[in-house]
Amino acid sequence: MAESRREAVAAAAGDQPLELILARNLVTIISLAAFLFDAEGRLVFYNDAAAEFIGRQFEEVGVLTREQVQAELGPLDRRGRDLPADQVPSTIALEERRPAYSRFYIHADRGLMQIEAGALPLIGPSGLHGAMVVFWAPEE
Amino acid sequence: MRLKLWGVRGSIPVPGPGCDAYGGNTSCVQVTAGDGTELILDAGTGIRQLGPELVSRCANLHILLTHLHLDHIQGLMFFAPFFNPATEITVWGPPAAGQKLRSRLARYISTPLSPIEIRELPAKVTFRDAPAEPWRIGGVEVRAGLVAHRGPTLGYCLTEDGQNLCYLPDHEPGLGQDLGRDPAAWISGHALACDSSLLIHDFQYGDEDYPGHLGWGHSCLSDALAFAHRSEAQRVLMFHHDPTHEDGRLDELGREASARWTDLGGEPGSIEPAREGDEIEVGESAR
Repeated sequence: MAESRREAVAAAAGDQPLELILARNLVTIISLAAFLFDAEGRLVFYNDAAAEFIGRQFEEVGVLTREQVQAELGPLDRRGRDLPADQVPSTIALEERRPAYSRFYIHADRGLMQIEAGALPLIGPSGLHGAMVVFWAPEE
Repeated sequence: MRLKLWGVRGSIPVPGPGCDAYGGNTSCVQVTAGDGTELILDAGTGIRQLGPELVSRCANLHILLTHLHLDHIQGLMFFAPFFNPATEITVWGPPAAGQKLRSRLARYISTPLSPIEIRELPAKVTFRDAPAEPWRIGGVEVRAGLVAHRGPTLGYCLTEDGQNLCYLPDHEPGLGQDLGRDPAAWISGHALACDSSLLIHDFQYGDEDYPGHLGWGHSCLSDALAFAHRSEAQRVLMFHHDPTHEDGRLDELGREASARWTDLGGEPGSIEPAREGDEIEVGESAR
C-alpha cells in the first residue's frame, strides 16, 4: 500500500502502546472502578464499575483532556474546589512516576462524592505510557 | 522483499514423518531485500540450515528476534556465520527492564547449556535493543512494537517499495479483547499489521484447543482470523504451528481458515498455513 495511506490509517487509529492495551484489558474485567490515563494526562478509558459512579458509560463520554477531566469529574476538595496537583494521584503517577494514593471528591452521578484512589504509573521499556487509577467509596 | 521460510513451527522442533509436508523446525524467516540486504526474523532451529547459504556470500547480517523464548533462539549457536570472523552480525531484540539483550542471550549461550560462551563467538556480533522509532537496515524500513505475549515480545513490520511485511509469530491479541468490535487503536499489534501486504501471524491453536491454553500467549484460529481481518491484511500466512498438529491437521486448519477468510471478504487463496522451504515475494498473489 502507499506509505501515505498506511500513515493515515495508523494516525486515524491512534494506536495505543501495549502497556495501555493490557491495562485496559485488565480493567474491563475487574469489578473495582478504574480510570486509564495516557502519558499526556488524557482520560482514555474507564470501566463499567467507574461508570456506575459517574452515571455514564465511557462510550458516551469518550476521551477527555486533562482540563475536561478536571471540569467534568474533578478531583475536588470537600467544598468543590479544584484539588492542588500535588494531591492528585494520577498527576503524581504521571509526573513523578511513582504510585500515589489520596482521598478526595468527584462529581458523581448523585452529586459531590468522596472517593479514595490509588494510581500506578504504566512504565514500559520505552518509557512512561500512562497511569491506571483505581478508586472506591471509603467506608463511613 | 523476498522471503524464505526456514522454520514455521512453534514451541519445539518436531522432526518426523508426520510433519514432512509443513516442516518441523521452529521459527526462522529469511528476508532478502531488493538491494540485497539480508534480514533474518527469529533464530529458531530453522536458522541452522540457512547458515551455510549465507556464510560464504554475506558479510553483513541482521537478526531480528521477536523474543527470547527458546523456540526463537535455539538455532543461534548453530548458525554458521557466527563462526566466521569476517562476518558482521547485528542481533536486534526486545528491550527489557534490568539486563541488556546480550546478557539475556548469554544465559543460553553459556555453560552449562552451551559448550561455548557468547564472548567466544568468532564473528563481530553486536546486540541492540530494537528502538521505539522506525529505523532503516539497508533499503528496508523496520518498525518494532511490543505485542501481547508472555514476557517482552516484539512484532516487526518491514517496508520496502511500498510493500509491508508484518511478522507476529507469537501473539495473543484476543486475550481480554473483542477483536471484532473493540476500537482498532486498542488491539495489540494493529499498528504494525494494518494494511499488511503479507501478514505472518500466530495460528497455533484450533478453536477447540484454545480453552486449555488461554493466556499462554498464542492465538486460536478465530482470533487470528479476526485480527487479520481488522488489519486488512492482503495475504496471510498461518504460522507457529502447534507441535502436536501433524500435516493432516494443518491441512484441515488451512481449509477451515480459507473458507472463513473468504466469508470475511478475503481474497480466495490468500490465506494458507506456512510451509517450511516455501519462498514468497511480498506483494505477490498466492499460488
